[in-house]
Amino acid sequence: MATIFPLRSFGLASDRAAQATTEGAWVRWSLIAVAVVFLGVFLFMPLAVVFASALAKGVSVYFAALREPDALAAIRLTLIAAGIAVPMNLIFGVAAAWAIGKFEFFGKSFLVTLIDLPFAVSPVVSGLIYVLIFGLQGLMGPWLASHDVKIIFAVPGIVLATVFVTFPFVARELIPLVQAQGNEEEEAALTLGASGWQTFFRVTLPNIKWGLLYGVILCNARAMGEFGAVSVVSGHIRSRTNTMPLHIEILYNEYQFAPAFAVASLLALLALVTLLAKSIVEWKSRQQTKQQELFATRQTATPTSISSAGANAA
Amino acid sequence: MSIEANNISKRFGQFVALDNVDLEIPSGELVALLGPSGSGKTTLLRVIAGLEFADAGTVRFDGRDISDRTARERRVGFVFQHYALFRHMTVFENIAFGLRVRPREARPSKKQIQAKVHELLKLIQLETLAQRYPSQLSGGQRQRVALARALAVEPSVLLLDEPFGALDAKVRMELRRWLRQLHDEIHVTSVFVTHDQEEALEVADRVVVMNHGRIEQIGSPEEVYNQPATPFVYNFLGNVNLFHGRIDGGTTYIHERETGHVVYVRPHLLEIDRQPNGGSHFRARIKHINAAGPLVKVEAVAEWGDPVHIEMSQERFRDLQLIKDEAVFVIPKDVKVFANHEA
Repeated sequence: MATIFPLRSFGLASDRAAQATTEGAWVRWSLIAVAVVFLGVFLFMPLAVVFASALAKGVSVYFAALREPDALAAIRLTLIAAGIAVPMNLIFGVAAAWAIGKFEFFGKSFLVTLIDLPFAVSPVVSGLIYVLIFGLQGLMGPWLASHDVKIIFAVPGIVLATVFVTFPFVARELIPLVQAQGNEEEEAALTLGASGWQTFFRVTLPNIKWGLLYGVILCNARAMGEFGAVSVVSGHIRSRTNTMPLHIEILYNEYQFAPAFAVASLLALLALVTLLAKSIVEWKSRQQTKQQELFATRQTATPTSISSAGANAA
Repeated sequence: MSIEANNISKRFGQFVALDNVDLEIPSGELVALLGPSGSGKTTLLRVIAGLEFADAGTVRFDGRDISDRTARERRVGFVFQHYALFRHMTVFENIAFGLRVRPREARPSKKQIQAKVHELLKLIQLETLAQRYPSQLSGGQRQRVALARALAVEPSVLLLDEPFGALDAKVRMELRRWLRQLHDEIHVTSVFVTHDQEEALEVADRVVVMNHGRIEQIGSPEEVYNQPATPFVYNFLGNVNLFHGRIDGGTTYIHERETGHVVYVRPHLLEIDRQPNGGSHFRARIKHINAAGPLVKVEAVAEWGDPVHIEMSQERFRDLQLIKDEAVFVIPKDVKVFANHEA
């Protein structure tokens, strides 16, 4: 009986504590209902509508829309833009995070602000900037035209705009991580005889890999989905300068709803895959730290004495 | 390998971390750099390691000028205060790191690496934990792994930056005795930084006392403790009572017609008695008695109003039967007088 009694009183105490920190059932259920309705109307319904509209005229229309040459060209261009922008920003981001996180230099805070610029500027404005610089009437336009280099209304412009818009994702993800980890492990590697590259690939990179992957996933999602900046520099030349988002808009404006939604469903699928990948990465990195903490507590519970070790070593 | 640092100066912006420092460490010695935070001891260690470069001065290993060499080229073993173990590698991989990153022609074979790591694991008594990650180890174990990692590359000198600073008192004591034993075994020239005077006095062959980017005194633990060269050293190496006074014809006068002299007396060099006993003495009143520990600590007020700290053995305390607020005579057994009173 003696063992049951404290248990029961503990249960009562925790009930009372729970009462003290929560609202009544009525409030709780209405808040949950509001959240569910909101999510349903603004997230799940649109997603369902995308797939429903895409398949409204049957599976054959759906696949025909995806197999159409213009659609294939748009998909290819999107993959090219992302395929160039993501690796570039991966390198830029790691380099920027390395410089900002590990070193002190003049103009550091200015550089951080610059990295954030693409977040602050409307994508349409960033697109316009490229038109003003590289366009025919732009700063470098005449020179580019005389050398027969086409940037605006061509693939290079689309890639440039995508790189610019997605620039902050990797760097932003890594800077706090690199800063928190400090320099000591790198210094240790150097004193142990590692070269700069060895230190980077064997020490720095493994420590930031989850953050890096997370940044790349977000960067990729944005690179494939970018509309505003790309729209300004693209010129909407069918099968040549249309990316998926631009292709969807054209189809939609032409009242071809089923094909528009079919291509849109691809982007929606990409979003779902991104979310899934993001969750897996988050879960993985959390798992890792949790497991290490678990071991750490177990370790402190059974400390080994060193006095015997010292005696043996001598 | 001997270490020589000549005229080392280093600034961080306006802050002078090292001000024309000269230091010579003979081969095979275990030397402590001792000083308060901001005294430049860690900076000096990092300059020797090549992790920091001096604004002026030279560093020599065995007479060779290595001032322009990077940390990588100097082949020093460096142990960090917070271990700096590679968190994504096992204990085994951490220790093997320095061997694995060697250029192909100098890299030992897999078997040799394995043998070397196991030899070091044995040395640090952590053979069973080879596959653990650093986060799964206690602080003391981590620091031993860090030491083994540094020793794996067979460094010419071993540099330790506050190696026991992040550990709790008991582990710290065990580990520093172990370090001393280890050094007696492998005889690699070692320099460690500490702000703990007890640690420096107990472990080191020689102690370098630093303050404000300068070296105050270099000497054996006995020398710096018993013959402090400056008021700072006297003050830093243990508790001290500080009286103003003057010197006149070889006699020290405390608190009489002061001439800017400062008299330093360690608490255990003051004796309490109920009689003046003929020799030097002053009067005091007992304020507080703390009898916990090997020594009884007595706080008294001198006749001129300054507090005086006195330490005595438990036996002496039992013989005297001191009580609070009692008036007694204090007899200094040994004092040290410095002319300036900057300490």
